[in-house]
Amino acid sequence: MSAPSLAPFILKRPWLQRWVAPLAKWYGNAAGYRQLGLRADDILPEENDVVQLALKRLPPKEAYDRVFRIRRAFQCSVSHQLLPKSEWTKQEDDTPYLSNIIKEIEVEMAEREDLEAMVVQKRAANASSGH
Amino acid sequence: MFSRSTACRGAQRAARHAAVRPSQRRGLAAPASGSFQYQSGDANGVKFASRDYAGATTTLALVAKAGTRYQPLPGLTEALQHFAFRSTDRRSTLRIVRESELLGAQLSSYHTREALVLEAKFLRDDLPYYVELFGEVAASTKYLPHVYLEEVLPMLHFSHKQFLANPLDMAINSAHGLAFHRGLGNPTASSSSHPYTKYLEADTAEWFSKIAYAKPNFALVANGAEHSELSKWTSEFFDGVPASPIEQLTTGTEQTKYHGGQERIAHDRANAFVIAFPGSSSPSGKFYKPEIAVLGSLLGGQSSIKWSSGFSLLGNAKASPGTSVKTTSAIYSDAGLLYTAITGNAEYVAQTAKTTVELIQKIAAGDIPQELFQKAKAAAKFKELEYGQDTTAGLVYTGSGLISNNQPYQIDEVAKAIDGVTEEAVKSAAKSLLEQKASVSAVGDLHVLPFAEDLGLKV
Repeated sequence: MSAPSLAPFILKRPWLQRWVAPLAKWYGNAAGYRQLGLRADDILPEENDVVQLALKRLPPKEAYDRVFRIRRAFQCSVSHQLLPKSEWTKQEDDTPYLSNIIKEIEVEMAEREDLEAMVVQKRAANASSGH
Repeated sequence: MFSRSTACRGAQRAARHAAVRPSQRRGLAAPASGSFQYQSGDANGVKFASRDYAGATTTLALVAKAGTRYQPLPGLTEALQHFAFRSTDRRSTLRIVRESELLGAQLSSYHTREALVLEAKFLRDDLPYYVELFGEVAASTKYLPHVYLEEVLPMLHFSHKQFLANPLDMAINSAHGLAFHRGLGNPTASSSSHPYTKYLEADTAEWFSKIAYAKPNFALVANGAEHSELSKWTSEFFDGVPASPIEQLTTGTEQTKYHGGQERIAHDRANAFVIAFPGSSSPSGKFYKPEIAVLGSLLGGQSSIKWSSGFSLLGNAKASPGTSVKTTSAIYSDAGLLYTAITGNAEYVAQTAKTTVELIQKIAAGDIPQELFQKAKAAAKFKELEYGQDTTAGLVYTGSGLISNNQPYQIDEVAKAIDGVTEEAVKSAAKSLLEQKASVSAVGDLHVLPFAEDLGLKV
């Protein structure tokens, strides 16, 4: 699910961040999902095992809110309308509530892969003593 | 992949070799050290004990004062048991599992009424790794909601199902409940008499862990480890655990009182009948009565010798060979329960229950040949010593002893106490059993299983 991203590179350089931040802010608003009351994590593609597991691990309240936002956005989309401006998602509310869980799961899976691919070597100290 | 460099461990082992090798090389005829006794110590506030015997493996256990007796809410002990060896701040569950597999070790966790035990068995060289792991499990296990839901809760449901399918377990737990009400009376498994998941959450488990794994509340016990080594690694790796519990709990700490009573539970799978009387506390407790152990082995029920029904009264008097009878003297820190558990066909169980009470009356009246007393005494002594020698029981006993009164369990003294039991003492113990209220629990076909009053018991 994780696409290559420039974000870590930019965040590490404050001068670059200062340049790019306004651009990112503009893009976030122009993308249109906030006008439907959604958050960026609501529109992640969820048709894979990792995200499905992450959705299961959401706290009950967050899972409920997510479903509410998606249904509301769906209604808006069907009726070709935007939400009243007071209900648009504010930039500070647009927090990653799901992607951090997804990252954790990806780390778990990567660790499993690494352990599967591990080559075991006998401890040098034990090689002679038999166990 | 190991956090400790193996090079320095190699050096330590080389230094130790001189000490370990001669004993490992001894011939069959040479006597082993024969010492039952644990050496105990204190490393930065963590109590630990070890006994070093020749052999290539070590058993290390963390014994916490967090058995079902001490749990403030139902199910917490079991939750901690299943949270053991899950992800910590530094290692994931998977990594703990894989590393232990590579070292050829066994990890387990279980609980008794009074103690929660995390246990690891491994090759002698790996002691530092496991002391470190235990330090991590105690100090920095991550009690995550999804781990609780995905990994812990299913285990609780399984043990609940297992409990419901085992009438004997139900009867024994019910007898404990009748005898002690709360504290020691709490069921050890997820029983239906408690809403066993209602109070459970990952946060509650974390809160309880800060009490169970606080320095005054647990002890580290090792079999087959060098005392100085264990001392060194314990003082190094247990910095993270809280020095005192975040909350002083009084649950289960008051002196246990015996109540008694009768409970009948319908069960369609099998029959179990438990007749229980107030027993003996552990030698460190106030109510230590060695004659109860002798009385227990005199009643007995199961033979220790093949192709024979054994000497015990119940072993010979039980209603049919298919009926299983066992008398146990369950010993806890400040109380005990002497119980006879009978399972089998309902009619035979009923008959055997009647016989049991008649036999106790017979013992009280002194109608038992003296030879049987001698056999019972010998059997009780052997059982006690053998039990103490057994690593598992020894670990739990020693750990509990360390937590409660800073002394490892002294098995030799117990054996001496049993030697001193007289026939008269056993008789009067049997008499006092019949005078007190019994705890009687019947599980199974209630149409056939008798009431306590039918047997001539007071409840």
